[in-house]
Amino acid sequence: MPSSASDQDRETGGGSEPDYRFTLANERTFLAWIRTALALVAGAVAVLHLVPLDWGDGSRLTVGLALTALAVIITVYAPLRWIRVQRAMRRGRPLPMSALPLITTVGVTLVCVAVLVGNYWP
Amino acid sequence: MSRRPARDPGLQAERTLLSWQRTLIVLIVVVLLYMRDPFSDGAAAADAAVDPLHRLVPALGTAALAGMLMAHLRRRWRGTDHGRHDDATGSPPAPVARPWAMVLLSASVAVLGIAVAATAVLG
Repeated sequence: MPSSASDQDRETGGGSEPDYRFTLANERTFLAWIRTALALVAGAVAVLHLVPLDWGDGSRLTVGLALTALAVIITVYAPLRWIRVQRAMRRGRPLPMSALPLITTVGVTLVCVAVLVGNYWP
Repeated sequence: MSRRPARDPGLQAERTLLSWQRTLIVLIVVVLLYMRDPFSDGAAAADAAVDPLHRLVPALGTAALAGMLMAHLRRRWRGTDHGRHDDATGSPPAPVARPWAMVLLSASVAVLGIAVAATAVLG
């Protein structure tokens, strides 16, 4: 069973099971990141497939692909972050800093700039 | 740990279950949005035209995935006395879903994103 294997893996990592409330909060944070990624994918669907935009093909693809790339980065990072936080809590270490909020902020800002460019200088 | 709370005062397990449901619903909505026809039948719509049968694949795949995750959550929820205690630890089940369910959800969102980008580039 993969679950028992991963449990054992974390057992060997040492430390003790953290308070269940912290584990659940970590899980909810993970789910919130997944919802963020889904929102970005929804934006990509709108730009690439749904909404008729009179932008140049360049800005359309740039915005759509940037949104998708951001979403994929988040989906790769979110489970890793969950495991890292879980491990840190088991060992009573400070929570690891994550680059994810910074990446998301910068990425969304760049997408906003590209949208402006697409709207006013198509 | 021997403490066995009768009820989680913060309803943390329940909130996490709701969070799962919200996430799965958003996943289904995004897939339906992806399969929807474009708003106008302009030039963009013509080249994005996909065989309706092909559109069923992501829909059915996502429905199966969401159903599977839902069943997994339900089973665990029921097995832990509605999120009150896990037999192994005595405290409420944490996490609510197994780690593989989280990895599966992440992977499916990544696949969806890649599919959205790929059909736009190739279509």
